[in-house]
Amino acid sequence: MWLVRFLMSSIGKKLVMATTGLLLVLFLFTHAAGNATIFMSSDVFQSYADELHSHPLIVIIFSLSILLIVFAHIGVGLFLFYENRQVAKSRYAVSTRVVKNSFASETMPYTGLVILAFLFVHIFGFTFSSEDVNISVTVKELLSNFFYALFYIVAFLALAIHLSHGFWSMLQTFGISHPRYDILLARLTIAVPVFFFVIFGGVAFYFMTGLGSSF
Amino acid sequence: MSSINLTLKIWRQPNSDALGNLETYSLDGIHTDMSFLEMLDVLNEKLTKESKNPVVFDHDCREGICGMCGAVIDGVAHGPEKEITLCQLHMRNFSDGDTIVIEPFRSRAFPVKKDLLVDRSAFDRIIQAGGYVSVNTGGTPDGNTIPISQVKAEYAMDAAACIGCGACVASCPNGAAMLFTSAKVSQLALLPQGHAERKQRATAMVTTMDEEGFGNCTNAKECEAVCPKGISIRNIARLNREYLSAVLLKDD
Repeated sequence: MWLVRFLMSSIGKKLVMATTGLLLVLFLFTHAAGNATIFMSSDVFQSYADELHSHPLIVIIFSLSILLIVFAHIGVGLFLFYENRQVAKSRYAVSTRVVKNSFASETMPYTGLVILAFLFVHIFGFTFSSEDVNISVTVKELLSNFFYALFYIVAFLALAIHLSHGFWSMLQTFGISHPRYDILLARLTIAVPVFFFVIFGGVAFYFMTGLGSSF
Repeated sequence: MSSINLTLKIWRQPNSDALGNLETYSLDGIHTDMSFLEMLDVLNEKLTKESKNPVVFDHDCREGICGMCGAVIDGVAHGPEKEITLCQLHMRNFSDGDTIVIEPFRSRAFPVKKDLLVDRSAFDRIIQAGGYVSVNTGGTPDGNTIPISQVKAEYAMDAAACIGCGACVASCPNGAAMLFTSAKVSQLALLPQGHAERKQRATAMVTTMDEEGFGNCTNAKECEAVCPKGISIRNIARLNREYLSAVLLKDD
């Protein structure tokens, strides 16, 4: 069937990565917007969380969709990683990278797996936390632990590195490349990862350093 | 004119089934004005006089336009100079006492035939799948009967500069042939004469590229960095567009 043939082609697999990647970035924007309420006060954050969870159907459909997208992104990503290793392993006695700053593109599977490990910790810490305790209390309690917060910051750094290649790579895979907006896209590829690192990392930093002790 | 002494580590492999290995040779008194291939010629004369097998390598025009030559020099396809083929690399890029590692262009789709000679016929099969125009174009048309902007014509010409040497595949961390295939799709997709078959072309060439065993593109840009003709990865973006629209909108 044409759809299966398309999805199994080299460009098709890349388009699955790019599409799921785009959806995950859009999800992160909504997540970051919600998290930003933490910087207002615990009341604002708590009322945002209560409001969100007063619509359980939205939460369930949204969560399951994200889960599906995450599975597709990781599944196809690992398959591509495996396929590319088959082609690439032990090719040259000396191999030199000509492109400068290729760290992010070389480490995509690894930064991706760090983010996956983070997701497990994050979901067990917050999504499945006790419902008797207010989420604003759980946030402060968990992230006030220095090492817990440090792990979060390291994971967000991995996310930023992942996106510093992934964001541009996604656009390239969609075929979005034109001299008119090359510079704009290059700047967005820096701005988007930095934005996520500042908002998400900022929350962890806020509690880790005791800035949020009065939260 | 100065001369330098070199240590060469060259991949030797008697045939495609045999296991190869790096052999070390020392070569003295190489003039810095020699090209890299002339340096290999000197080595081969020396080996022949010693009744040893000369190093087999592909070459033809030796002026950087045919796409026959090419090897990986110290891990970089076509060596350290930008936008040149191996035959245009000169020994003045090396210093006295250097050790140079010379390996064949490697990819699953490019089996080594002997020493530095690889079988790149997979490229020919990608071209055969759709890298042509087969619509009947009639007699010679008058000039300027088909309007095309100068910018478009230049982009098509830039893509058509590809000489099919295989450096993109050799340098790609995944052995992908996206830069080659995208240049061959772009040179036709950009011109009105190529529009009639663009959808069929994109799907057929990508399918053949995958079947030949090339890897998946991860947008690492290594291909663009070593390409002797400076083919831009913007062509890869165009191929992605061509392929996606062909899959969704092709009439068959």
